[in-house]
Amino acid sequence: MCSQARWTSAATIVALVAAIQGCAGRGPVIEPHLDAAAPRQIELEATPFFPQREYQCGPAALATVLAASGVAVTPDDLTARVYIPERRGSLQPEMIAATRGYDRLAVVLGSSLDVVLREVSAGNPVLVLQNLGVASLPLWHYAVVVGFDSSSDALILRSGEDDRKRISAHRFASSWSLARNWAVVVVRPDTIPVTATPDAFVAAAAGLEAAHRSEAALTAYRVARDRWPGDVTALLGIGNISYAAHRLPEAEDAYRAVLAVAEHNAVARNNLAQVLLDKGEPDAALSEILRARADLSDSRLAPMLATTESDIRRALATPAPERPDKRAGNK
Amino acid sequence: MSDRSCRRIGVLILSVALINMGTPAVGHAAVIGTQTYLEATQRDADLSTVTAALDRAEVRDRLVAMGVDPARIEARLNTLTDSELRDLSTQFEQLPAGGDILAVIGVVFVILIILELVGVIDIFKKT
Repeated sequence: MCSQARWTSAATIVALVAAIQGCAGRGPVIEPHLDAAAPRQIELEATPFFPQREYQCGPAALATVLAASGVAVTPDDLTARVYIPERRGSLQPEMIAATRGYDRLAVVLGSSLDVVLREVSAGNPVLVLQNLGVASLPLWHYAVVVGFDSSSDALILRSGEDDRKRISAHRFASSWSLARNWAVVVVRPDTIPVTATPDAFVAAAAGLEAAHRSEAALTAYRVARDRWPGDVTALLGIGNISYAAHRLPEAEDAYRAVLAVAEHNAVARNNLAQVLLDKGEPDAALSEILRARADLSDSRLAPMLATTESDIRRALATPAPERPDKRAGNK
Repeated sequence: MSDRSCRRIGVLILSVALINMGTPAVGHAAVIGTQTYLEATQRDADLSTVTAALDRAEVRDRLVAMGVDPARIEARLNTLTDSELRDLSTQFEQLPAGGDILAVIGVVFVILIILELVGVIDIFKKT
């Protein structure tokens, strides 16, 4: 009786300790995520370190990845861009948006650990969100993965006040999955991160365009087009930036390139119609916009196409001699 | 709250007025933007400029209420896309705010909390 009770409580303590230690004994975490040719141990020692002030791991971690990408920036510069005093922290959308002001791309990575390891192996420190608490009592924390060591199954982070925090891969994976495996790399606009998907990279470029960083966005769209020639969004982005800069021939080429790979793309055709109108070719513009309206499957965009069409019809109703100098400033 | 409602109505009226005034008279319609195109690939996204203006006003109000320097808010809002503004506007309270309180209250305290929770709930169950 007595010995059985003692055995039970001993087993309970062992189980509890095992649980607290993060379920030790499940086997290595890092090794299964590495290709045969991948390095087993790496550390990006040149990655800068900015110790965080109280609560401000957001600005500190963001400064780390921005500085690693060649931007001269400190956490103090970023506090006014990403810190929210009453929340005592920083939100993910603002962390991403703040990189745009420095003409950098924040590319959201896939949610598997091997993606993080591959980026670090390629020289890109990875900004991550962790939950250091538990699901019901979260302690959200930004850190930067700068290295890993397969033999000791640990990752190396710039984290908080710790310039070289070693964390077991088990603990990291657990804290990272509680933060939905959020990981971001920050790169120059002419650089495609090794694991970036076309959609993630081009979405980041579109974010730069939306933030009115046109030159940087154009650079990113062009490298995306060169890498993924059929990417519709990259081509459309090139067209839109060229149009905004009044470079009509370039815009027209880009929209036609979209239609060459996606002939029913009503957005590209609407934009092509607009370019033709601006070039003083309302007849050609009309036939394009009519086709665009026929191809349109999304009713939310219908008002925009209708506006283009009415502009074209107004131009057609205008006596011809007035047309040429109407858009003289554009080209 | 009533301040916010007034603000919303104001923005709505202004937006509608701007849209009605702006486009037909001048006829300088722009092309459809890349961001709009990307949003159109999401079925539930609202592509109207009125909604975008409301989201922006909502996020501005929340940031001010949360202690962000009003002089810096426009610069912050200008770098956000419409869909990010919508996420911030609709999920502001739910989004995780990374800020690490460990450094302030100490690791020991957290361990105490965790040990306490072990006895109460199953903390190792992942959600």
